[in-house]
Amino acid sequence: MSNVEYPREILESLEDYNIDIRDFLPGHGKGAKLLLDFNKIRGMEDVDGVILKGREIENGIIADVIIKEGTKIEEPVHLCFGVNKETGIQEIFPRIIVEDNADATVQAHCSFPKANGLIHKMFGHFYIGKNCNFTYSETHYHGENSGALVAPVGYVYVGENSVFENNFYLTRGTPGKVKIMIDIYAMKNSVIKSNIKAFGKSKNDSVRIRDSVFLEGENARSVIKMKAVAKDGGEVLMFGITEGNAPRCNGHVECSEIVLGKGSICRARPFIRAIDPTSSVSHEASLGRFPQKWLDELQAKGLTEEEATQILIEAMLQEER
Amino acid sequence: MLLEVKNLTIPTLDQKCVILNKVSFKVKEGSIHAIIGPNGSGKSTLAYTIMGLDNYKPSEGKIYFDGKDITNMNITERANLGITLAWQEPARIDGLSIPRYISLGIKDKANMKEEIIEALKIVNLEPERYMNRIIDEFLSGGERKRVELAAAVAMKPRLIILDEPDSGLDMIVIEDFMNIFNKIKELDMTILLITHREDIGMVADYGTLLWRGDALITDEFPKVMLRYCAKAGLKEFCKRTLFKNGGFCVDEDYIDRIFREEGQS
Repeated sequence: MSNVEYPREILESLEDYNIDIRDFLPGHGKGAKLLLDFNKIRGMEDVDGVILKGREIENGIIADVIIKEGTKIEEPVHLCFGVNKETGIQEIFPRIIVEDNADATVQAHCSFPKANGLIHKMFGHFYIGKNCNFTYSETHYHGENSGALVAPVGYVYVGENSVFENNFYLTRGTPGKVKIMIDIYAMKNSVIKSNIKAFGKSKNDSVRIRDSVFLEGENARSVIKMKAVAKDGGEVLMFGITEGNAPRCNGHVECSEIVLGKGSICRARPFIRAIDPTSSVSHEASLGRFPQKWLDELQAKGLTEEEATQILIEAMLQEER
Repeated sequence: MLLEVKNLTIPTLDQKCVILNKVSFKVKEGSIHAIIGPNGSGKSTLAYTIMGLDNYKPSEGKIYFDGKDITNMNITERANLGITLAWQEPARIDGLSIPRYISLGIKDKANMKEEIIEALKIVNLEPERYMNRIIDEFLSGGERKRVELAAAVAMKPRLIILDEPDSGLDMIVIEDFMNIFNKIKELDMTILLITHREDIGMVADYGTLLWRGDALITDEFPKVMLRYCAKAGLKEFCKRTLFKNGGFCVDEDYIDRIFREEGQS
């Protein structure tokens, strides 16, 4: 499919992410892609070893992304769930299947530049087979009006000897009301890395993220890193859960949150549990301001305290590459 | 004189005792001036006070930079006058790219990239390897120190305070750092080198000996180091190390005299 009309505003909202947006349009770039404009599929393009299927439903779509066995793709599969309207409901039911021995990245962009009462829901299932190396990155932009209500839920099954990296970024624009829940089940010898970053910028922003890893297989390992900034009345709650339910599994949860301005609230709730005597699970959490030493270091380069704080926020919320 | 520290007294936070006691010395523009002294003598306190950190306010004394009283200026104001500090253990501000970090103090925004590359070259980091790197856990302590130094040099300050630049580095790397200090000096920047290592101090033109919060002597560096060794009773060490540019700096009779003055045989 090519020569597809896709809302300019959505594409422009992705320009800040250091990506060439043209690569994501059907007929351009090398990667597989699926573009959703509100509840209509505007473009879908497969590549060898990647099958995309989508079906429109009343308020959204049901979509399958299948990475075939042994497929190794260099270009990420791009999913764009854009809404160029102020209001409405968009519901996505994705099912992502990564077959054994596959190596792939899926990059999803959820962009709602005009959101002002818009509801976006996702209910996703991920099945990652054995010996896979799979990265799922989801970057959100909810406009500047704190007008989105976003509630994604994801269940991820990670097979034996597989590496799964999950990245979620909500660091630009204003989040609005966000409630996210991810459950990851890690099988034998699998490795889970989960990075969550969010920025609540005003009293109209409330972000609640629950990221859970259940280490169900022997030697499974995981690290959850949750970083957030709340300023000018914004509220962020990071709930990082790791359960060590198998022999010699090893998990760690790390939450660091910065509070700026009056009325802002950051909450971190690391929850860890181990039921196997050979397992090891740990957590650390820090909330508050940036260390004075960091500010001093940047101010010694001629920055004001405010500029130094901005730089530290930029560093903390930088997307992993 | 570029920097003048006059009767500087820094009390502890509870004001019960002093860390620096009426310290005075002058730093000549274009020189490398070492501040030496054993652990706990107040060297880092002096560095932070000159830089203007919040918790390091003098109870007495003045600091002049290029003739201007900067005692009551804050850290940003001092940096904008041309003073900066490369930290003993720079924080690892994960997530920033190395060029972004180095760019923070660069004033000439039009030639940013060239300035960053130049700064990387000065500290012997290959631009092709470091222009695309992020500050993260994969950067070694030595690399992190060089990046910190590059960021300081990129500011083109008039005075760089180097707080224990040698800490945690092995001998081969220290030799390289000494060459870097000379390169920085050739770029018309003045270096205030805080160190407790006599060998790295040998790169200095002048020095000041801090001893339990007192500035005992300010002079040409070999003489300052000789006094340091005499205070510490390290005569043989002194004779083994007082070399500069391939020659012995001070004659043996002079060494004997200084040791006698300090009550050492």
